[in-house]
Amino acid sequence: MKALALALAVIFFIIGFLYLFGILQIGASHGGRHVSHFVLFVVLGILSLVWMRFASSGASPQR
Amino acid sequence: MVLAVLQGASELFPVSSLGHTVLVPALLHWKFDRSEPTFLAFVVALHLGTAVALVIFYRADWVRIARALVSSVARGSLSNDPDERIGWLLVAGTVPVALLGVFLEAPVRRFFGSSAIVATFLILNAFVMFAGEGLRRRQTTSVPSTAALRASAQDKLSPRTLAELSWADAIKVGFAQSAALLPGISRSGASIVAGLLLRLSHEDAARYSFLLATPVIFAASALELPKLFAPQAQAVLAQSAVGGVLAAVTAYASVAFLTRWFHSHDLRPFGWYCLIFGTLCLGLALAKVIA
Repeated sequence: MKALALALAVIFFIIGFLYLFGILQIGASHGGRHVSHFVLFVVLGILSLVWMRFASSGASPQR
Repeated sequence: MVLAVLQGASELFPVSSLGHTVLVPALLHWKFDRSEPTFLAFVVALHLGTAVALVIFYRADWVRIARALVSSVARGSLSNDPDERIGWLLVAGTVPVALLGVFLEAPVRRFFGSSAIVATFLILNAFVMFAGEGLRRRQTTSVPSTAALRASAQDKLSPRTLAELSWADAIKVGFAQSAALLPGISRSGASIVAGLLLRLSHEDAARYSFLLATPVIFAASALELPKLFAPQAQAVLAQSAVGGVLAAVTAYASVAFLTRWFHSHDLRPFGWYCLIFGTLCLGLALAKVIA
């Protein structure tokens, strides 16, 4: 789980920066930079890091 | 100012603020360019005002939730603290609407130009609320025939608290909230119906819906904040500020009213309102009286 969370975090950060620099345009309404997409994927990356922290301490969702 | 009051009230009432911001100007034959920097700045201020009102109204909850989340991350584990659980459920519920909002906002925007489509979604919104209330009533009134089944059903039918929701439930409510990307479908209506179907009380479903709406409205307006300070928007900065304050006051009054309303009432009056207003607007749109 810890490795999966870390891998997801890295993927989300990379996707976020690809949107920020306008390299990735999937689902974008216009060309150029996409700050909303960047913020979304950075937040998802941070949440994945939080998940990694929980996974490394052995805590898991109860329900 | 009418738009500010309309936004503050309809954002939280389960009647679709997006739907009303399309239909009311069409009914009043107001003509303005929705892509104009001055209008965008004004809309950002209204949303910001609404979000601030929600944070102020639920300030005690947010302080407890934020503290619980920070201590949970610092500890690196999940505890049984209800505030911590609600905090993480809100995070889980926000992810679907954030993903769908960012990726589907542009394709959905083409519906905004047609009053007929928006009115149809408003009628659909009414039926979603009626169906939700009907299913909820069926859940609570269906009594099994034998005593053993009755006992096990009692547990399944008794209302749950927010902290008893599962991660999957939180994500389901989040997806339900995403339906509000369609103008005419209400964010709070969809998420309250989803909460009711997950056996929350009306009061808890509404509270969860308003808590869930706060980060979404805040994030959406924060991302658009530069538009408020764009050079072309300076001309309407004072109007935007007054509009934002007015939207905040109206939103605060609306959430105060709605939390009391859901103590002892349900969604059906809002359903009737959406059905009547939606049908009226659809009729006028089909008769080409409104655009």
